[in-house]
Amino acid sequence: MHKDRALWVSLGVLALAGAAYALRETGGAGWMPGCAFRKLTGLECPGCGMTRGTYALLHGRFAQAFAFNPVGMILLPLAMVALGIEVMGWVRGKPMPFRLNPGRWGATVVAVVVIVFWIVRNLV
Amino acid sequence: MWYYSKNGMQLGPLSTEELSGKARGGEVSPSDLVWKEGMPDWKPLAQVPEFQSTGGFSNPPSVGMGSVPMQQPPMYPAGYAPGSVPNYLWQSIVVTVLCCLPFGVVSIVYAAKVDSLLIRGDIVGATAASQSAKNWAIVGVASWAVGIGLYLIFMVFIAAGAAASGP
Repeated sequence: MHKDRALWVSLGVLALAGAAYALRETGGAGWMPGCAFRKLTGLECPGCGMTRGTYALLHGRFAQAFAFNPVGMILLPLAMVALGIEVMGWVRGKPMPFRLNPGRWGATVVAVVVIVFWIVRNLV
Repeated sequence: MWYYSKNGMQLGPLSTEELSGKARGGEVSPSDLVWKEGMPDWKPLAQVPEFQSTGGFSNPPSVGMGSVPMQQPPMYPAGYAPGSVPNYLWQSIVVTVLCCLPFGVVSIVYAAKVDSLLIRGDIVGATAASQSAKNWAIVGVASWAVGIGLYLIFMVFIAAGAAASGP
């Protein structure tokens, strides 16, 4: 158990919670910069819709959140859980016995899904 | 001091002697994950050099055979277990979804290669792919941070301009 690491993680969680609260109240309009890729190219990136989606999610509108970015809405919570486990291991100074490892095929599937999604959402 | 994972429970700490005693007694099997401070990740006991030099593991006594050194079939015959080199997949997903620049996608592609290369036994290639995944994720975060910084400066100028030209 590393106390300094626990402190950093607590600060990070607090900052995330604060950002989530601010997003819930404002929808991000006016204070979040928006997607740089979309501004530069006019195309949607694989993460486009996550701000609107998270806003919808924070108001309990799950179907709408999913419609804004289906792939991101599945992958981001998964990644948060997986990284949460890593961070817990980092704080206590040894890796957790249980970790989310997508394995060889899982990782390849994720890569293919993200790239296909990126292309398809700009064609439809 | 060693820790080991058995049936979903994490146990230990034990000294090297105690753990190899448990391994000889069959209480810890060669495929159980073990870890000590300084190791990057949990590893099957059979892959830890400290416990390979003790003359192998014994089978549970079988009828009339006595103790025979166990031929532990390696789980990944040609290569290394996934996870022995970090693949940064989850980090690159977060970067892709939140940073809005294609660097995260490059990072995911490298992350996906890490485990495939490991299984083929190409630890050099896997380490290089791991490093690339990490670097592209950092590029993604850094470009995002620069973007946010520029955006904030821009907003401050707009606000200052509005205040200066106000009534």
